[in-house]
Amino acid sequence: MTDSAPAASAAATKITVRDLHFHYGDFHALKGIDMNVPEKQVTSIIGPSGCGKSTLLRIFNRIYAIYPKLRAEGSIELDGENILAPGYSLNRLRSKVGMVFQKPVPFPMTIFENVAYGIRHHEKLSRPDMENRVEQALRSAALWDEVKDKLKQNALGLSGGQQQRLCIARAIALKPEVLLLDEPTSALDPIATGRIEQLVEELKGEFTIVIVTHNMQQAARCSDLTAFMYLGELVEFGPTERIFTKPGKKQTEDYITGRFG
Amino acid sequence: MNALYLRRRITNALAMLLSTLATLVGLAFLAWILWETLRQGISALDLKLFTKITAYGEDGGLANAMVGSLIINFVGIAIATPIGVLAGTWLAEYANRTKLGESIRFLNDILLSAPSIVMGLFVYTIIVLPSTALTNGSTTFSGFAGGVALALIALPVIVRTTDEMLRLVPATLREAALSLGVPQWKLTVQVLIRAARSGIVTGVLLALARISGETAPLLFTAFGNNFMAINPMEKMSSLPQIIYQYANDPGESMHALAWAGAFVITMFVLLLSLVSRLILSRTKVSHD
Repeated sequence: MTDSAPAASAAATKITVRDLHFHYGDFHALKGIDMNVPEKQVTSIIGPSGCGKSTLLRIFNRIYAIYPKLRAEGSIELDGENILAPGYSLNRLRSKVGMVFQKPVPFPMTIFENVAYGIRHHEKLSRPDMENRVEQALRSAALWDEVKDKLKQNALGLSGGQQQRLCIARAIALKPEVLLLDEPTSALDPIATGRIEQLVEELKGEFTIVIVTHNMQQAARCSDLTAFMYLGELVEFGPTERIFTKPGKKQTEDYITGRFG
Repeated sequence: MNALYLRRRITNALAMLLSTLATLVGLAFLAWILWETLRQGISALDLKLFTKITAYGEDGGLANAMVGSLIINFVGIAIATPIGVLAGTWLAEYANRTKLGESIRFLNDILLSAPSIVMGLFVYTIIVLPSTALTNGSTTFSGFAGGVALALIALPVIVRTTDEMLRLVPATLREAALSLGVPQWKLTVQVLIRAARSGIVTGVLLALARISGETAPLLFTAFGNNFMAINPMEKMSSLPQIIYQYANDPGESMHALAWAGAFVITMFVLLLSLVSRLILSRTKVSHD
């Protein structure tokens, strides 16, 4: 059994995962995951390559569904509603759950348009309101000061770290409730990584954040809770401090002390 | 210096020498073609070429052939571009990795290498013959029929480049847009086509370069016309067809005109290639 309900957090549960299984065709990638993700906290998911941590994250906004032959069973409740139910609107889900990917992928548009693009799909705003929203999002993503004079320039001209913060701005511009970060710093240098981690710290008051990382120091530095996954199973889930100082399972201890993975 | 290191240096020098030679041979032929068309056609290369229509003897130009070529090529590209871009988009975005998509991609590749004379005969059968029967012979061969034949040649080129360029757009860009809740059609039109834009435009230009030198498909469709024709429903002359006709003529001045036409076409194709290169290099987008 895994301890799926972290006792240390008093926060309300935002996402409840129950007996979640996932299949890539014939490959059984997730084997019965149970987990409660608390609201407005940072939950990190760690584990060796191929353990299913990204797979799990990609079910939270059902982005996996764009590929054929992938299927999820079980339930994931967001505020008590099962997002895997066929009736749950993808449009609604994705406006509530934002995602940032491993590689920064700005759209081939201006910096302004990159942020405005998603908003425009969900809301109709007047020009000044839109400018306001874009500025807010860029400020929240700690990018405003660097780009405020070149909003009309192509976003592909930004540095990798700036592009990634732009992607975060793009995601939070929709005012989601949950923010999924899939190894957001693995393509960045240490300075850009530091800025993103600082940003995660600042954003957690507003959003429920789930971050997948293969960098254990990163999990230890910026998350409240840590889940350790191995071979498609959730081995251990609890407050970050306990996971890293007094892990309950042998496998977790072996992993965080670097004996495998 | 040890033996292994020496051997590697020799192999390297040899490979470099051979590939440089191969490049030079290719370039030499290109330069030779350009030089020869220029040398042989120089006597006919003057303003008359662009102002006078074809006429037997010293007095002829190529104005009607050039106008005809422009109209026929325009018809061809105007038909092939929308169909080709849509089909390529469907292949890359909606039918990628499906059996139907793979089969159509395969059929498109066959069409890509189909002999161009077959296209001419096909259009002769489906357009020229019926229009002759329907209009009691007043509309037979036409610039439009020629354009359709050329469209059939340009189509697979455009389908293929659109398909390939879209599939080069990283999957993460699709996921990023979809994760904002944007539906597939908006993603395709507003993000993916934009990301692949320069590649698609290049594909269209290369298709234009490809069809502007085609002769065989025009023989049974546009036929040729020694007068200036603007209406695409009339018989129409074109540069390749005039080159073919004049090269077979015994008259010396006719040969010069044919060479001049060849020079004009070659320069046009060269220009198109350069422009498409320029577009690709200037707007090259990196997602690394």
